[in-house]
Amino acid sequence: MALTAGQRKKTAASVLLSLPLMAFALAFIVYPLLAGGLTAFQASTIFDQSGSFNGIQNFIALFRSDGFAKSAGFTVGFSAIVVTIEMVLGFGLALLLNRTFPGKKLFFTMILLPIMVAPALLGIMFRLLLNGDIGAVPALLHGMGLSVSLFSPSSVVPLLVVLDVLQWTPFTFLIIYAGLQSFPGELLEASAMDGAGPFRSLVHVIMPVLKPVLFAAFFLRTIDALRTFDVIYVLTAGGPGTSTTTLSIYIYKAAFESGDFGKAAAAALVVLVCLIPFVPFIVKRIASTGIEAQR
Amino acid sequence: MTALSTPLVPRTRRSPRNGRKWIFTIAVGLVALLVNVPLLNALLVSFKPTGEIAKNPLSLPTAPTFDHYANVLYASGYNFPQFFLNSTLIALGTVALVLLIAVPSTYAIIRLGFGGRWIINSASGLRLLPAIFFVVPFFVLFSAAGLQDTILGLIVANTFLNLPLAIILLASGLRDIPNEIEEAAAMDGASVYRTLLGIVLPMLAPTMVAVSVLVFIFTWNDYLFALVLSTSNSTPVTLGAANFVTSTGIRWGDISAASFLSTLPPLAFAVFAQRYLVSGLSAGAVKG
Amino acid sequence: MRGKRFWAIGATLLTATLLAGCSTSAGGTEGSGTGTVKMVSWPGPEGDAMAKVVAAYNAGQGKKDKVKVDVVLLSRQDTFTKETALMASKSSNMDIYWTASYNVGQYAPSLDPLDGIDTSSYFPVAVDGLKYKSKLYALPLDVSNHFLLYRTDLIEALIKDPVASAEYEKISQSVLGEARAPKDPQSWDLEDFKAMAAYFSKSDNPKSPTEYGTILQAKNLLYNTMIWNDVLWGYGGNWAKDGKANLDSSAAKKAVSLYADIYKNKWTSPDSSQAEFPETQAALQAGSAAFAIQWSAAFASLNDPAQSPQVAGKIGIAPVPGGKTHVHALAVSLNKYSKNKAASKRWLSYLATEGAMSKYAEAGGIPAMPKVLEAKASLNPAFTKVSETIAKNGYAEPVFPKTFEAYSKLAEDLSGAWVGQTPVDDALKTANTDLQELLG
Repeated sequence: MALTAGQRKKTAASVLLSLPLMAFALAFIVYPLLAGGLTAFQASTIFDQSGSFNGIQNFIALFRSDGFAKSAGFTVGFSAIVVTIEMVLGFGLALLLNRTFPGKKLFFTMILLPIMVAPALLGIMFRLLLNGDIGAVPALLHGMGLSVSLFSPSSVVPLLVVLDVLQWTPFTFLIIYAGLQSFPGELLEASAMDGAGPFRSLVHVIMPVLKPVLFAAFFLRTIDALRTFDVIYVLTAGGPGTSTTTLSIYIYKAAFESGDFGKAAAAALVVLVCLIPFVPFIVKRIASTGIEAQR
Repeated sequence: MTALSTPLVPRTRRSPRNGRKWIFTIAVGLVALLVNVPLLNALLVSFKPTGEIAKNPLSLPTAPTFDHYANVLYASGYNFPQFFLNSTLIALGTVALVLLIAVPSTYAIIRLGFGGRWIINSASGLRLLPAIFFVVPFFVLFSAAGLQDTILGLIVANTFLNLPLAIILLASGLRDIPNEIEEAAAMDGASVYRTLLGIVLPMLAPTMVAVSVLVFIFTWNDYLFALVLSTSNSTPVTLGAANFVTSTGIRWGDISAASFLSTLPPLAFAVFAQRYLVSGLSAGAVKG
Repeated sequence: MRGKRFWAIGATLLTATLLAGCSTSAGGTEGSGTGTVKMVSWPGPEGDAMAKVVAAYNAGQGKKDKVKVDVVLLSRQDTFTKETALMASKSSNMDIYWTASYNVGQYAPSLDPLDGIDTSSYFPVAVDGLKYKSKLYALPLDVSNHFLLYRTDLIEALIKDPVASAEYEKISQSVLGEARAPKDPQSWDLEDFKAMAAYFSKSDNPKSPTEYGTILQAKNLLYNTMIWNDVLWGYGGNWAKDGKANLDSSAAKKAVSLYADIYKNKWTSPDSSQAEFPETQAALQAGSAAFAIQWSAAFASLNDPAQSPQVAGKIGIAPVPGGKTHVHALAVSLNKYSKNKAASKRWLSYLATEGAMSKYAEAGGIPAMPKVLEAKASLNPAFTKVSETIAKNGYAEPVFPKTFEAYSKLAEDLSGAWVGQTPVDDALKTANTDLQELLG
């Protein structure tokens, strides 16, 4: 196959331009990935550091007790709920801010603030804020004559949902709001002229055009929600029992409390294998046009 | 999809009557307060003397004190100025390295067809793995490479964590820059590199700034990798603040002050870059 | 195709890297016997006290030894995480690890036994708790145990007031099925504990001065297993009997039921399902609970007017009801992969002297040396209590390699039942199976 001079130049350039990524990947991604993958098939505990291969022992150990499956179930359910709420609220908030009003700049920045608090520290801040004896929220509720115990077994999951929504709605808001800014105004005007109400415009005009943006917000949020760790770990450590144990908490405990790195790696690998089929589907919707143009 | 690729006219905003405007101010203001309750509470507690914290959670401090800030900044025996410096260096270094790696390669992938969708897919897949998976391999690798407990090491680790995000966002930003300009430049005989530097980069700049802000924030807030990969020379502020979680309880006032202070640098960075944050993330805006 | 070829080259390079990575050093070295020794510590009274001992050593004896000690502080919640990661990668980064009775078995494969250090001045129970396969793997530093911390003013008022006493008898009748007179907390058993929790709770006694009688530490956390163990041992139970897990005993059932009863009847805050040390302190400081089983180190700050203005001076200290307290020692251990073992041992030898431990006590620690505690009794009123209670009430959980994991596992299995979320029998059955597996 004969390449034109231009094509050849393009090829050379693409290799050169990708070099930093490839070098970095070789040095710092491929090795950890393979070493981590290898660990999943090794006896790698704090008692037995020989690193001898033990086949699928780690995977058997993983599925023998129901802890892994339970935490996977909780993680998926929790993520589905929080991401749905965050998408809806983030969208609503973006529509709300999509106009001029006094104080917009200040409030816009303020709404983004929760993203800037380290989750590990935010967990501790919540622990103070929600403490039944010294926390402001229970004191306020008490002052209003409500006796709600935020951490009782029946209210702890809704509480964690609320906290996650408080911290991460700003993130979906930011992405969607940014998308709205590039929304062609005349489209809305046209649909208004056709006599469409605000709701119809939303569903039939805004949402289809914003689809890639919504997918991007959804995807970025979902993958992070599936890894939820800090706030829940600080507040409940996965309890009572294992009722709020996320996959990340499960893996963390396997590695650092049981000292079983093989089992932890096996768990992470199973998570990856279960999620990977969804990736191309989503990526296609976020960043496809550019690649498509090459075909 | 076609709607996005038609050129935009500058947005015209109808200005509602004054009364209606203020309704939005109040509504949005309430949301802004609500999401910041934990931080505002931390701010309040950070000015209360230790004995007062347990007394009345809702009251303003009767005898406001700067002790907790003094503890954070110098009096506690922890070198917080150093922690802040470390965090800043790590976050800025990560932003630089991420852009250096992600911008040219994303261009190669999207515009020059290098590796195709495969690379973007695996980059996204990488972010799906729990970070814990990589913690020990990284530790082993860094110990061997002499990167353990160095600023550079944490820059590398955070670059690793944030590359997928950067590639995804840059790819969708690049997608929305019309190809015709580059094709015209190529016709005129400009090399790929000149096109990239002279034409694409300026148009991609807002996206790059937006990516920088997010990478800065996520790096600043990293905890797990810092815990394992730093010991004393490269301790960032998140880890330093956790020192107020002691074996006899949590020093609420001190950790509140530390948490509040630690949000200021990313906030400053975001405010500084706010103009581009929105336009950069709004893919189509660059065309307007 | 380009991509494929590229990855083929990559894979070759990678194999080389992996092989290079495999040749990590096995075992450390003695080193020169001088230089810098890096030691892990955690923030809090133990770390603060240790910092002062280190400063004294670096300025005095250390100069003679030509050894300088560097302390690396890690937050309390992260210390063992970090150490586990260091050990898993056979790191020589730290020379001396921060360990404790409850994890020395798990860490022993990464530690060097400490031979030839004179340990005769320590509490024997502290030293024994740090032995694994009859070798000493750590030097005891601080002892931790539990006390009943209670509001002296409230209990005195109850005992003195005949009307209140009558009310207490009535409540104890309905709670325990037998009328009891209010007693001095020094002689409570677990039934008194339960009845008192009811008496001091608004749910059972609207006139109670406190909202809740006590605060249980029922979060899913390994340290909370240690506190619950007091109740288990107090009822005559144990983790294991003749090497077999023994959590299907009636004592275990009583112990879980006591927690569940107190929780379900609101004699502890509903939030105590997520309570641990800081929450317990907050409840006592805010005066919302009358008493709690709490760690020995808590006493000092509760009686400090600057930190606890509402209750300082009104906090009493008594043995844990049921007369049994968990005891563990915080300790320091030598990293097997250290590159500077000789110097580290010099520092450890210094640390084992009564002189060093006296400094440690003066700086706020609770050293595991009875003689030092006696000599420094004037410093902290808890010192004599600690000596007494360890000798009289202390018990030790079985030590086996997976002890550390067992504490976590039991918290995970039982914390749901402590707060009435899972049935007592189911939880204990799971816990017993898990414990049996960990016992090996």
